Order: sequence, then structure tokens, then C-alpha cells
Amino acid sequence: MLMSRSAPRPSLPALEHKAKWLSLLLLAVSLHVFEAALPSLGPWFKPGLANIATLLALAILGPSAAAMLAIWRVIVGSFLIGTLLTPTFIISLAGGVAAAIAMLTAWRLLPGITLIGVSLIGALAHMTVQFLTVESLFIHQQALYYLLPPLLLLSVVTGWVNGGLAAYIVSQLKESD
Amino acid sequence: MLLLISLAGILYAWQWIHTEVSAGPAMVEIYHDEVLLAQYSFPEPGKSIHFDAEGELGISEIIIDSEGVHFSSSPCRTQYCISNGRHSEGGEIIACVPNRILIAIKGSRINGSHYDAMVE
Repeated sequence: MLMSRSAPRPSLPALEHKAKWLSLLLLAVSLHVFEAALPSLGPWFKPGLANIATLLALAILGPSAAAMLAIWRVIVGSFLIGTLLTPTFIISLAGGVAAAIAMLTAWRLLPGITLIGVSLIGALAHMTVQFLTVESLFIHQQALYYLLPPLLLLSVVTGWVNGGLAAYIVSQLKESD
Repeated sequence: MLLLISLAGILYAWQWIHTEVSAGPAMVEIYHDEVLLAQYSFPEPGKSIHFDAEGELGISEIIIDSEGVHFSSSPCRTQYCISNGRHSEGGEIIACVPNRILIAIKGSRINGSHYDAMVE
């Protein structure tokens, strides 16, 4: 007796796309947890290594996959390190979403922009929105912004390095295809 | 080009903030969210000020001495505020976001001079 299927079997490219996205999510979550375990570089600053996975998703899978990856990375990563729904999580999520939106916008609106440029914009957006989130939700003091310029300078450096790493990985993956 | 524009903008903002904040004698301001809890000058060498700042989670203990200001204990889980260490220069801040306590240093310390004024 034949049984009717409720949904058509997904195509091979769709499955491949999903597998790549999950692999990048795993990489992003691993880097998120790794960064949390690093010695503190200051309460406001992390190297942003997990953003490399978002950049890879942007270059390989496209903007919507990259946006979803940025959100799920913060949720799963925060769950694993025990900060889910804490102020740390809210600040991290706001920064991650802002960085993703800024990077996707730059990717779409600035033709010819490199992954390094996209990463730089993402890093600056991430840091700025973190401060805006703290000031608007937790500590309503503009004195917080005293710390913003030096941390933005560090973000320029980390954004540059992470973008360079992502561009190198993408070029290596293209060569191996 | 993008990098140069970013760097120029950030350096200008940093310089502007530094100029604004460095005016006047050095003072430590302690806030809970929007409320100014206390304002101290740095004490003379050998003396220290202990202040208990009540925040969302409990008491954050703050110590001010001639070398600077720092959190000595905090009810927050991450303890980032304590690991942030001691600060003493105008324009520096230390924040405990979970407990919503902010320490901001305003003004400049000229030749290590001290002021006895205190508002609490």
C-alpha cells in the first residue's frame, strides 16, 4: 500500500545550503564560547572572532542566511555560557543584530566592497550599539561614552583583522571547489 | 579610504571628549542609573574612602584612594567591574552594568594635587 507524502523531499542544493549554514553556526557558537573563556580584555571588549562566521555566511550563503546566523549564534552561545536573558545577552544580541544589519546593508548598497570593509563597518556598528543599549536600558548616563572612542579604535583593528581572515578563508574555499 | 575616515572621526571624537572632561579638578562621581549617589575628590596618600553603592542586585563596594578608584566587591555574576581594576584619569569610567552602577572620573589631576571637597 502506497503512503502519500505530506511534503516534497527537499532538493540536494537546499540540503547542502542548510548543512553549510549549520556548520557555520557551529563554528560561530564555538568561537562565541571560546571568546567568553578568554582572559578578560576589558568589560566592553571582545575580539569579535565569531563575526568571521557571519562574514563567511554572507559571502557563501547570502545576506538572509548571514542575518539568521548572527541572531542564532548569540542565542545558542549565550545559552551555553549561561548568560541567556541577562544584561550581557541583551547587549550582545543588540550588538550582533546591529552589526549584521550594517554589514548586509553595506554588502548590498556598496558595490565592490570587500569583506574587510564589511567587517570594519560591522565592528563599528557592534561597538556603538552596545553602548547605546547600555545607555538606553541599563545606565542612563552619557558619561558612558567617554570610553567609546578608544574602544572604537580597537574595533577598527579587530574588524580589519577578522575581515582579512574571512577573505582568506573564502579564497581558500573557492580554490578548493 | 573607509579605514582612514573611521580613524579620523574616532580620533577627533576622542580628543573632543578628552578636552570636555578634563576641565576642572579631578572628581569621582558614583551613579546608580540616573541618580548621582556620591561625588568625591581623590584623598591624600595613605587615606582611602569606602563607599557602598546600592544597585539593582545589591551593594557594590567602591574604594577611592590617592592611586585611583576601583570596585572591591560586587553582587554581579560576571565580576567584570572588579577585573576592570583601578582608574584615576579624567574621562575614565568603570561600570557594573548588571548592578547599574557607574563610576566616572571627571577633571584632571595636576601634579597629583588633592582636594578635600566632598558631596554625598
